[in-house]
Amino acid sequence: MLDHETLKNEALKAISEADSRILEELRIAYLSKKGKIQELMSQMKELPKEEKPAFGQMVNDLKRVISEAIDARKEELESSSLNDRLASEKIDITLDAYRPAYGAMHPLNLVWKELEDIFIGMGYNVAEGPELESDLYNFTKANTPEGHPARDMQDTFYVDPTHLLRSQTTAIQMRVLEAQADHLPIKVICPGKVYRRDDDDATHSHQFMQCEGLVIGENITLADLKGTLELMIRELFDDDAKIRFRPSYFPFTEPSFEVDMTCHICKGKGCPTCKGTGWIEILGSGMVHPNVLEMANIDSKKYTGFAFGVGIERLAMLKYGISDIRDFYTNNIRFLDVYKR
Amino acid sequence: MKLSLKWLSDFIDLSGLTTEEIVERMVKCGFEVEEITYLSHATGLVVGKVIECENHPDSDHLHITKVDVGNEVLDIVCGAPNCRKDLKVIVAKTGAELPEITIKKSVIRGQESNGMLCSLKELGVAEDLLPADSPSHNGIEELDDRFEIGDTDILDKLGYDDTILDVSIYANRPDCLSMYGMAKEMGAILSREVKLPQFEGASDIGRASDFRLRSDSVNCPHFLAKVVNHVEIKESPEWMQRHLRSNGIKCINNLVDISNYVMLETGQPLHFYDLRSIPNKEITVKDDYLGPYMALDGIEYQLEKGDLIISSEGKPIGIAGIMGGDNTKILDDTSSLIIEAALFDNAQIRRTSNRLGLQTEAAARFSKGLEPLCQKKAVDRAVQLLIELADASDIEETVEYGKADYQPYEISETLTHLNSLIGKSYAMDEVLSVMKDLDFPTRTEGESFHVSIPSYRSTDLKIREDLDEEIIRLTDFDDLQATLPLIPQTVGKLSPIQRIRRIVRTILISNGFYDTVNYTLVSADYMKEKLLPFGEDVSLLSPLSDARRYIRSSLMMSLLEALNYNLDHHNDDVSLFEISKVYSSNGEQERLGIIMQGDFLDQKLEHVHLKSDFYVLKGLLYELLEAMGFASGRIQLKTNEFDTTHFHPYQSAELTFDNHTIAIFGKLHPSFLKAHKLDDVYYAEMILDDLAKTEPAKVRAAVLSRYPSVSRDISLMLKEDIPASDLLKQIRKTGGKIVKNCEVFDVYQGEHIDKGFKSVSLNIIYEDREKTLTTEDVNDVHEKIVNELIRRFEAVQR
Repeated sequence: MLDHETLKNEALKAISEADSRILEELRIAYLSKKGKIQELMSQMKELPKEEKPAFGQMVNDLKRVISEAIDARKEELESSSLNDRLASEKIDITLDAYRPAYGAMHPLNLVWKELEDIFIGMGYNVAEGPELESDLYNFTKANTPEGHPARDMQDTFYVDPTHLLRSQTTAIQMRVLEAQADHLPIKVICPGKVYRRDDDDATHSHQFMQCEGLVIGENITLADLKGTLELMIRELFDDDAKIRFRPSYFPFTEPSFEVDMTCHICKGKGCPTCKGTGWIEILGSGMVHPNVLEMANIDSKKYTGFAFGVGIERLAMLKYGISDIRDFYTNNIRFLDVYKR
Repeated sequence: MKLSLKWLSDFIDLSGLTTEEIVERMVKCGFEVEEITYLSHATGLVVGKVIECENHPDSDHLHITKVDVGNEVLDIVCGAPNCRKDLKVIVAKTGAELPEITIKKSVIRGQESNGMLCSLKELGVAEDLLPADSPSHNGIEELDDRFEIGDTDILDKLGYDDTILDVSIYANRPDCLSMYGMAKEMGAILSREVKLPQFEGASDIGRASDFRLRSDSVNCPHFLAKVVNHVEIKESPEWMQRHLRSNGIKCINNLVDISNYVMLETGQPLHFYDLRSIPNKEITVKDDYLGPYMALDGIEYQLEKGDLIISSEGKPIGIAGIMGGDNTKILDDTSSLIIEAALFDNAQIRRTSNRLGLQTEAAARFSKGLEPLCQKKAVDRAVQLLIELADASDIEETVEYGKADYQPYEISETLTHLNSLIGKSYAMDEVLSVMKDLDFPTRTEGESFHVSIPSYRSTDLKIREDLDEEIIRLTDFDDLQATLPLIPQTVGKLSPIQRIRRIVRTILISNGFYDTVNYTLVSADYMKEKLLPFGEDVSLLSPLSDARRYIRSSLMMSLLEALNYNLDHHNDDVSLFEISKVYSSNGEQERLGIIMQGDFLDQKLEHVHLKSDFYVLKGLLYELLEAMGFASGRIQLKTNEFDTTHFHPYQSAELTFDNHTIAIFGKLHPSFLKAHKLDDVYYAEMILDDLAKTEPAKVRAAVLSRYPSVSRDISLMLKEDIPASDLLKQIRKTGGKIVKNCEVFDVYQGEHIDKGFKSVSLNIIYEDREKTLTTEDVNDVHEKIVNELIRRFEAVQR
């Protein structure tokens, strides 16, 4: 008669050491119809009636234990074989086999876009106008009548006696004023290319970009200009930036101001970028001259407004630390590549 | 404007203010100081007398001296050739700090030396600020009897303890181009009293004059002339020479110097003529002279109609407002003269001066405009100085043409308007304090104030906002609060073209393209290569150079240049684009240019390699249009027929949108590229305006079928010139609406295919929205399609 205890111990030992092929053999050897468990069960009929239930219970328990052990071992073997397979599939994660081809936005267009986003967020529209412009919009309506030094042939590119490549995006402002005189308030920015008679060098370019801003409405104050510009500068450079106004002169604003911001490199402590002053000159601005409003048929007694203009090259040069303005116009992709964002 | 602080202190008490404080105040008030120049830089100086001077035994040029400096006698070795006994000299004692060195006790070739005898140059005085006969040019300075041994205020006495500020003056402040105007301004800035010399009416003297004066030009509305029949020519006093030199003006003699000095003081350029050179006593201003003219610098200038000239007896004697003539100038023996003080149109003077390249002090001042009462002030001051410094006598009365154009006026403003414009709350006493500093007579009436504007500020101050600016600029303003406009809310959004630009940039950049910005102005060579022309070329009237003469009408040449630049700088496989406006006589167009060369994709480790080609470019263009909201149905692809100069005739195409040509693209022509040393370049240029003007299709939800689709392939052999699009069109036509999609997935030519033929493999997806298609349903349609293709295109099924 088979000793079930011995049988159990033998079986569990064999199962725990089996590989998947032997495990299948063991399953057949123990659990199949001709297996050892069945054989043990067949001994039951020779037992006295009163012993049968206990014996049957014992054999069933044994069958369950072995069966569970086989399943557990099977699971164990499968999991270890999966691990082996995964290990064999190991790759060199340091390789850069694929990089999606990704170009970059030009830094001038990047700053342009940033300005658009900042001001659209404040409810401004983005106005544009022709680069080949009439001197009426470029000068006359901007309170720069004939004979004014800024109109000189020496400073601008005329194509005929009354048309020129616009020398300032102010020309766009004048078009907006005229078009929207009956649809106040006005809140626009006017970005675009402008042209001046400068020989190209590290800090001068005969072509560059400006972005002007114009707000016309009732009770617009100089304090509103300050708040708006402070917001713009903080978005572009530094959350803690401050600005200050210095009196200046532009024909189309009165009063007029140069605007300085606290140096974004040294935070106003003084460094080579700000020439030790802690301040950087960043843009020109002022309250729209009443003559400009009147020329656009807007009642200057009822409405006031502010205007400002900033050089996009200047912003980009300060923001990214570019020292030569000509770099913007050679389009070397190694120069452009850092603006992937 | 060069502002001498020493000269300024003749008019304002500057005591208690450092140069830095003065400059800081000026900057706050709107005057940028570009440069601060100290005329000299030295400490530890004392007047000494050379009491012994012997030659150094071991040197051919050194002197061994004993110098009495009052409280001691110093042994000093000196190398100056003019060093000699009994000379009064400037001694820099040990410890003295000069611009280049600090003086130390030293031994020079065995001889002890306890200081240095100085040239003014060694004290930091620029060579051109020295009088012509100054010993300091070649040796040590020689002091005269004004100096006592032991004196230490040497630089002060010599007038070299000055500081010059280079101040930039905005175009609205021509009054500050004069010393008097600047003094008035500085008085306001520093809030100190200004005392100007009194000379008003000094020229209201003289006997009757028969001098005749006339202007034949509207550009000379006012002219004063005054004959002085006797003057003594001599050297001008040192103080005057010093002021002239510190402004960079050469000293000639008292007469010429007075005319320059009065210009610096009053801002009015003066001209003195030798009376002998105008014997008929007649001057006429003309603007219709044409021809060459020799000015007093000895250079011949070509004058044109419009240029203002001063003439006598019909002949030019000076280029008005710019430079006098050689034949009428003050000479060494001049004994009588004519004073000219005129007003010339600023724009005309600027035009002439710019054209002739003749930038003089006078031209600069006329160009920027003069204050209206300037002519009379200058003649007054000139007469006063001529009497004082040139013994002027036998003076004739002033002859005047025209009238000074100035009427006294007031500007009125209210506190309410001032404060509502600024967003601050100024009180009346602050306003009045500013007006007092400006020396503007002001009367108040409730919350209104009425300000009288003096003539010298009348060019600038015209409206109440001008007064507001004066108040802001002269009060502390840094505490202005920062607010945002309180006006009805507006919605900001991008315009259609702005939206299109963003779409284009996003897609192209995501496909490896770089966004570029190129110059609008190009050369004639670039203009020869026309692409999608839309009018005549536009050129500049006066370009900076031939390379920047034309306004470009296409982006292609600029992008080729950018591509070439990159290839020259060892950047390979370059894909670039630009969005920009281009111009012709018919206006502007906004265009997109795309250029590609080399590999479009090259991932070697992944074995993915895609060269730039026609299909890549075409696919991108369609993708862009679809992203803009224009389904490919609205776009027609056509064979490129009108530009085979720049494009490969068989690898290029045109796109039309609603029947307008909007793009041309493809491989650039090898002959064209050869001229630019390039090879295998693909280019597209697209006009964006029509797209921006067209409403894009509305987005509609996709209708998805609940029934499965069936996929079938066909392979056909057919003639090579049958376009794929014809096959696809036919499939849709024959198959009807159960053809969900069809596409070409392979085209093959070569082995096993007869020459002139190609093998095309197509895939068709069948789907019905109403039911599940049975095999029979699909077979029926598919068979029909295959038969139709075979019949129509003489194809053979493979």
